[in-house]
Amino acid sequence: MTRHDFWTLTRRLVSYAVLSAVTFLVCFPLVWAVSTSLKPKSEIFATPPTLVPHTATLENYHALITGRPQYFQSGGKDVSSGTTPAQFFMRWFFNSMIVTLGSTLISITISTLAAYSLTRFRYWGRTVVPYFSLLGYMVPSIIFVFPLFLVMVQLELTDSLVSLVLGYVCITLPFCMWLMWAFMRSIPIEIEEAALIDGASRLQVFWQVVLPTALPGIIAAAIFSMIVSWNDYLFGRVFLNSLDNLTLTVGVMLFFEGTHVDWGLLMAASVLMTVPMAILFMALQRHLVAGFGAGAVKG
Amino acid sequence: MQPSGATDVRVQMRPGYTLSDRAVGLLFIAPFVTAALFFMVYPIAEAVRMAFYSYNPLRPELSSFVGIANFEFIFRDPLFWDSLRQATIWTFLSIVFQTVFGVGIALLLHQALPGIAIFRGLLLFPYIVPTVVIALIWRWIFNPEIGVVNYALQSVGLIGEPIYWLSTPSMAMASTIMLNVWKYTPFVVICVLARLQTVPLELYDAAKVDGAGIVRRFLDVTLPQLKEVLIVVIVFRTIWTFNKFEEIYLLTKGGPGTSTFNLAVYSFEQSIANLRLGVGAATGVVMMVMLSLGSIIYLRVSGFGEDEKAS
Repeated sequence: MTRHDFWTLTRRLVSYAVLSAVTFLVCFPLVWAVSTSLKPKSEIFATPPTLVPHTATLENYHALITGRPQYFQSGGKDVSSGTTPAQFFMRWFFNSMIVTLGSTLISITISTLAAYSLTRFRYWGRTVVPYFSLLGYMVPSIIFVFPLFLVMVQLELTDSLVSLVLGYVCITLPFCMWLMWAFMRSIPIEIEEAALIDGASRLQVFWQVVLPTALPGIIAAAIFSMIVSWNDYLFGRVFLNSLDNLTLTVGVMLFFEGTHVDWGLLMAASVLMTVPMAILFMALQRHLVAGFGAGAVKG
Repeated sequence: MQPSGATDVRVQMRPGYTLSDRAVGLLFIAPFVTAALFFMVYPIAEAVRMAFYSYNPLRPELSSFVGIANFEFIFRDPLFWDSLRQATIWTFLSIVFQTVFGVGIALLLHQALPGIAIFRGLLLFPYIVPTVVIALIWRWIFNPEIGVVNYALQSVGLIGEPIYWLSTPSMAMASTIMLNVWKYTPFVVICVLARLQTVPLELYDAAKVDGAGIVRRFLDVTLPQLKEVLIVVIVFRTIWTFNKFEEIYLLTKGGPGTSTFNLAVYSFEQSIANLRLGVGAATGVVMMVMLSLGSIIYLRVSGFGEDEKAS
């Protein structure tokens, strides 16, 4: 082993050690949540607490997925707690899916069409719109959530998933618009021109040339849109009322309403809520970074 | 290549589209303009209008124009000033930690090591975790009696008595900052990492030849290269952090007492709990004014004007 190799090896070992320590600290809360969700009630409050459960159980997940009413340990005997949020969990999960996919689909469609128009046609205001859109993205939702709620009252859409879809289009559209614009602008126009000269119509060019090329941008925008909609709490909290219509984020906060907090159940709910985002993240991590490159850093 | 069937359909459809090119362009932008007017411009304009009205959502017919009374109200309200002060502290500390940790982690990840992709994935992951989930986990691990954080600190002897993380004002502030830093440091990491990948390696080689150590190379080569992206990231994060609602409300509801209120929580509480939508909207307008100042800085930094000339 040469001197050079020795230093490279030492540097690597130090790097790995530091990286592992940082990663442990960052991931610990999530690992602890997973660990808690797998523990039986008796082990959750055990001292010393265990990182790996002695007796792992899926009862919390089972309760959420089947909607079985929960029982709480109280003075040695089980006491039924009546209607619990657990019974609605899958319903809320489904609601969240619908509003997330619905709003993302609308935002992506509108912003892709608009970005194509803005980058390929010449008319007044075409350079201002993207920047206007970016400013719209910076306006915090707390400012327009109540006026928007009053709009929904007028449209008689309150307490419906449709109102939430529209609300999420509102928060995701400016960002998708900006990202799609930045992306479309970077696509060379020559191929389209060639296709047009060959006699293809505008719509043919759009479907067969532009959309496939713009796909990475569309994917990045869709990921961001889905993350924002799935994770939102404020709009759901203001727009929705009845238990049946809640989304996951709003619903799960209701787990705190009772006198008992069932931490195992709550952590299982947290894990299940994060899983769709985790899958998205793992599958499309590369696009996420690309999206940041085009959208957030690019000025 | 397209399957021939698909092409045939389009050929058949073609006579239907007799639009001019210009009409296609306008047609494509129309949905965006409509959506923007109805669901962005109108609500924001309405928010500004509401700031000058006394508005009770339960009795909308009684709403009346009150001039600048709502603004007088908030500027005389000590809680508004407390919220502003706390929001400033919260934002400042969050940004400092996010930037320092963000740059540090990005430098760690910017190494050609086997398995680095796994570390990168794990370290960026918090960014996509729902705030509700983080708030729940925080309430669990920072629970004073049964939380693992106090247990760990006590068992290694760092603290004697349990810390009441969420029920003492300063600790509640610290906890919300930790949550915010945990969730948004990945944003800084991604931005810095993207920039680091474009730093020419020759610069480092030249510095090495000149005998610069690792610290000097960071200060003289890396940092100047990162300056631009860091300014943009800091401005962006400052604007967003200052206006965050969920990160505070879900963890502490602004408490204990009002010790973690920021302007967003103040506005929300005025609107929802006190049903003073006008006052809430006036707070929103104040937030928007501050936001515009931030945005002007951003546009200056990012060179909005130059971009126009170039395109």
